[in-house]
Amino acid sequence: MIGWMRTNLFGTWFSGVITVASIVIAGLALWFGLRWVIFEADWSVVAVLGGRMIIGQYNTEAACPGQNCFWRPQVALLMVTTLLGMAWGYSGGTITKRVVIGVAVILAAFAFLPYRFETMGLDVRLLLAANVPALALGWALARYTRLGSVQSIALLGVAAFLITVVLLRGLPGVPGLQLVSVIHWGGLMLNLVLAVAGIVVCFPIGVALALGRRSNLPVVKVLCVVFIEVFRGVPLITLLFMSQVLVPLAFPEAFPQNSLFRAAVVIILFSSAYMAENIRGGLQALRPGQAEAARALGLPAWQTTLVILLPQAIRNVIPAIVGQFIALFKDTTLVYIIGMLDVVEFSRAFIQGNAEYLANARELFIFLALIFWIFTYTMSYVSQRVERELGVGER
Amino acid sequence: MTDLPPFLTYKGIPVWRHVQVIQWVSQVVSGILVAVLVVWFFANIANAVQGREIPHGFGFLERAYQTPIGQHFIPYDSSDTFLYAFIVAATNTLIVSVVGVVLATALGIAVGVARLSSNWVVSKIALVYVEFFRNVPLLVQLFFWFYIVLALPPVREGYVVGGWLFVNNGGISVPSPAPNGVSGLVIWIVVAAIAAAAGLAVRRLLLLRELRAGSTSHPLVSGAAVAVIIAAVGWLAVSVGFGAPPLHVSHPAPEEGAFGLISGGLTLSGGLVALLAGLVIYTSSFIAEIVRAGLQSVSRGQSEAARALGLSQMETLRQVTFPQALRVIVPPLISQYLNLTKNSSLAGAIGYSDLTNVAKTMTQTAPAVSIYILIMAAYLAMSLTYSIIGNLYNRHIRLTGG
Repeated sequence: MIGWMRTNLFGTWFSGVITVASIVIAGLALWFGLRWVIFEADWSVVAVLGGRMIIGQYNTEAACPGQNCFWRPQVALLMVTTLLGMAWGYSGGTITKRVVIGVAVILAAFAFLPYRFETMGLDVRLLLAANVPALALGWALARYTRLGSVQSIALLGVAAFLITVVLLRGLPGVPGLQLVSVIHWGGLMLNLVLAVAGIVVCFPIGVALALGRRSNLPVVKVLCVVFIEVFRGVPLITLLFMSQVLVPLAFPEAFPQNSLFRAAVVIILFSSAYMAENIRGGLQALRPGQAEAARALGLPAWQTTLVILLPQAIRNVIPAIVGQFIALFKDTTLVYIIGMLDVVEFSRAFIQGNAEYLANARELFIFLALIFWIFTYTMSYVSQRVERELGVGER
Repeated sequence: MTDLPPFLTYKGIPVWRHVQVIQWVSQVVSGILVAVLVVWFFANIANAVQGREIPHGFGFLERAYQTPIGQHFIPYDSSDTFLYAFIVAATNTLIVSVVGVVLATALGIAVGVARLSSNWVVSKIALVYVEFFRNVPLLVQLFFWFYIVLALPPVREGYVVGGWLFVNNGGISVPSPAPNGVSGLVIWIVVAAIAAAAGLAVRRLLLLRELRAGSTSHPLVSGAAVAVIIAAVGWLAVSVGFGAPPLHVSHPAPEEGAFGLISGGLTLSGGLVALLAGLVIYTSSFIAEIVRAGLQSVSRGQSEAARALGLSQMETLRQVTFPQALRVIVPPLISQYLNLTKNSSLAGAIGYSDLTNVAKTMTQTAPAVSIYILIMAAYLAMSLTYSIIGNLYNRHIRLTGG
């Protein structure tokens, strides 16, 4: 202990001075920070917003007249936690276990946080708390039934996403499932739906663009380069607000579309341009011997690419790819520019509309920062662990 | 006649399996597909523009914009044209971008070096800084800073530091240089440019001499001294010739008025302060990781050899490790600069008149499609400029054969 301190804290007199100074500064910051958090900050704004932060205006009278629609996003959440439990039961690794425990703790905490009762009733709280047994159910399903395989979990994941979209949107004619216009989708739910759709779709497009950019066919190459450079050169927010006018003009009037669809398309195209550059970096790092050996073994070009090159290239750039996923999740907050009320814009609009909470904006945005941080840090933690398990940089 | 063995009847690869044929066909097909798609989109847009009588063209650029722009760094009036307002907005974006890049680089390098410090406390503090700020959406951080600035007291009750720094809910006001006359300033700027060139030339000459002679002649100090002396002589000459020095210091002071504005000096509006704070802290956390990766890429032997030669820890970092790390650092650093510039388009959310924000307002009174073409061109031009400068610098520092 003393030896460790001597080398790591007081190696030289200069290092010692810096150690003492930074401990004093960090201590003071912690002291005043904690004092502010516990005694001075007024967190009532978070309690007042309560469940509306998660679903925005989805359950308001305008969105869902005469019905309680809160159960729809909650059933979707139950499906997600069940799937997460299945992933845990299937892999049994420490990574998923830690993520599962984290999710369970957070959801249980949300269920029993001291929100105002009128913003979060008992039914809502019970459905939230039901996520903890759902995790266990998923674990048991993966362990003791035939559903515990990668294929079935992936298939169920796709099915769950489609069911979620249908649940949230509603089905005309089905009682209890009346249509909810996408302009009323909001809160963290909107961020998550956009992020999941974006991550799933932008990845294959990014791979295709990366391969196209490295292709030796001049026409394909030029098309991919132009696409990538144009989408990387312009801010996402600019593309989003341009899409509001340009996309409706670019399709015939009969073409069904709404602002959520447009936002999703723009976010996907934007992210796939960045994804393409990340994957291209991974492809460039491969030694030419890999492709040559594959060809020498008689593999056709498409198999060389799919089976030999891409898996190695993607493994090389896992941190960059997950970084892009995180960026995409953070970028979903930009949909405010087209008038969608995601969790950040919903909170800001609430502050603007209720002047008595103007002084508590800091508390609200610190809370939001924490929520986003939990999600993004989990993603980066999982990527670091996956990277270590795949042994990147060791072979 | 008996059957010939297969290799004698072989007539060549069938056409549809010929590599070159496949390549050409696939290229032509993909080219045609994309062309059809593009033409279809443009035909639809053209149809809609005509059918719905949506205004188009660039004639509006000559019209007066007639909308105020919050903060502007070059003179602007509501009667100025759309084109000029567009340039004002582009200047606003450019200034945020340049100032942000400089500050974020300095902070990012400091945090990145701290991250690798052998001091446990320092490296952990840097780790927490990086992991927190790069994982929280920029928009949330911007709102946080913006509402902190808004919560400051109004101008009359604001904080005043030493009579020259004003901090209040209108932003931050600092003293700034202001010209006394145009001709005097122009002459002095020319002299200052000559001084800078002379200083660089002296430094280079002394450096060459140093290499030949093998003993130091303080090239950096001598060059700087030459530049300062020439610039000072120019300053004195202008002061005597025009009766006033080329620049004076303009001090901010609260105005006597109902609104309590601050006149004089340079006032950075609350939106700009929040935007710079958010952009610099957010981007610096990414730059810190790039710097760390760069420094780690330099092999240990380099710094050990430098320490063995008797260089101090600081000298080792500055003259041995960092120059080699630059080769790894510069390419991703350029893309962070581009990201910062593009992220500055979030300014609209906190009331700073950047390019995107002004363009969005313009679409209410001018043809939207034309404005989109203009802003895309402006952003692409900015990105391209950063890329070119960065790549030139990259070529300057990369390993050469000698």
